[in-house]
Amino acid sequence: MSVLDRVRARPHGPVSVLGRGRARPQAAAGVALTLPVAVFFVVFWLVPFLAAIYLSFTDYEMAGTPNWIGLANYERMFADPGFLNSAWITVVYTVCTVVPTIVLALLVAVPLSKPGRLNRGLRALVMIPAVMPLAATSMVWVIIYSDRGLANTLLGLVGIGPQSWLTSSDLAIWALVVMVVWKSMGLFVIILTAGLQALPGEVYEAAAIDGSGAVTTFTRITLPLLRRTLLFVLVISVAGSMQAFVPAFLLTGGGPADATQVLPYYIWANAFPYEHMGYAAAMGMVLLVAMVIVSALQFGFLKGGDE
Amino acid sequence: MRAGTVLRTVWLIVAVGFMLLPVYAMLVVASAPDDTDLRGLVFNGFHLPDNIRLLFGEGNLPTYLRNSLILCVGTGVLDVIFSAAAGYAMAQLSFPGRRVLFALVVGTLALTPMVLVIPVFLIVKELGWVNTFQGMMVPGMISAFGVFLVRQFALGIPKELLLAARVDGAGEFRIFARVAVPLLKPALITLFLVHFLAQWDNLLWPLIVANEQELWPLPVGLANFQSEVGFTYHLTTTAALVTAVPPFILMVALQRYYVAGLTFGGLKR
Repeated sequence: MSVLDRVRARPHGPVSVLGRGRARPQAAAGVALTLPVAVFFVVFWLVPFLAAIYLSFTDYEMAGTPNWIGLANYERMFADPGFLNSAWITVVYTVCTVVPTIVLALLVAVPLSKPGRLNRGLRALVMIPAVMPLAATSMVWVIIYSDRGLANTLLGLVGIGPQSWLTSSDLAIWALVVMVVWKSMGLFVIILTAGLQALPGEVYEAAAIDGSGAVTTFTRITLPLLRRTLLFVLVISVAGSMQAFVPAFLLTGGGPADATQVLPYYIWANAFPYEHMGYAAAMGMVLLVAMVIVSALQFGFLKGGDE
Repeated sequence: MRAGTVLRTVWLIVAVGFMLLPVYAMLVVASAPDDTDLRGLVFNGFHLPDNIRLLFGEGNLPTYLRNSLILCVGTGVLDVIFSAAAGYAMAQLSFPGRRVLFALVVGTLALTPMVLVIPVFLIVKELGWVNTFQGMMVPGMISAFGVFLVRQFALGIPKELLLAARVDGAGEFRIFARVAVPLLKPALITLFLVHFLAQWDNLLWPLIVANEQELWPLPVGLANFQSEVGFTYHLTTTAALVTAVPPFILMVALQRYYVAGLTFGGLKR
């Protein structure tokens, strides 16, 4: 929002300085430089978005023509156990990935952001999991969760018997959650560390002179100053979890018995293998609206204390 | 105070150790001679080069790797060119439709692919692009993120520089190419990196639009890998390792830009 304000407040300097005669080549160049992008956004973003809204009110099935059926898809959704199950799993999955990821990332980032040669080395190492492609990560975790894999080996060390991580309907969702927490943690440690290093050092010196303890410094100084970065991390991690498709697709295929069928997976399955495109479009719209509402709530909640 | 420092260091080493454990396990299993030990704790010889040679000798991995490179470099370069042009113009030139375009770009930042894949697939199908490279590449060619990133960065170009060039009689396109592009270079490198990494990991779209194995990029190939090599865990892991190498090299070479890309929006307003 501040970005928009800045754009409006900016005077069109060069035009006014050099007079009206210069405005025309500038306008022509502006149109020419933006035309490809404008066409692209209309064809591949705006038209599809409007088409998705339209399709969500039809019974389109890939073969045949779409027939207008009003709100029938939306009514069907709330009586569809598959959708209700997916929506619930998405809520559980989002809460249980976002909260531990941010808490753990903060616990690592705060000490890691301090200067020192060891910390510099550790910061470089943290980037390795962050930069691993999710597809590769998922294949590695399939091995980790296999019967003779690392997860069962580590459990064995503390005397717990082997578990069937990806084929038990009670455990599979938690297996996904652990992998995703691990995967996003690296990313968020980097972002939070950069945010922490940008904080003014004088505040901390003043706090130390006043005899402020580590915990007080963290809750009274670090957290409030880090608000903007935290909001950013929160928004991207919630949005990422709500539209996560790859982990469920690669690790469990939505199973066992739909236990990991998150909403993006259910939408994809309805749209492509089953070709219920109208119904899938309607579920996509619900997901979009949910994401917009959740983002707005986060901005409201964390921006509330500003100014 | 002293005890606190020690405690903090121990915690950091343990935490980072745990974060690296799966990467280490990947290295161990990818270097194994067979599937007998999948714990990923102790190296059983170092057969990584043999495994890689095996994968490149018979499997489809070279095809997937080639496709991924075409996809990521191709769309990455196009995204940089088009986003540079549009981002610069939106920040520094006044032309009709500028505000509408900016609203369009910011609006699309909020859209989820789950809403768009169905109609975009229908458009691509209408164009006859299913099972083609252009079908895989064109819809993801320009990102709202890229245009937005360049625009934010271009707002910082001093007006006097552009004005001086205009006074010298340089045309607008010349000013863009000779004055703006060199100044935008850090943002353009960041954009290429972010675009490359995102495309490298894009599973959903190629999965939908490419049914022919010849066209598959690495994520789709990996997803079908187990059926292909007869479900050998250690070779799947080797393939995953190979997939992780190009992003890793890029990240090491361009670390500064990588962090800048990640934190864009978090630190700036």
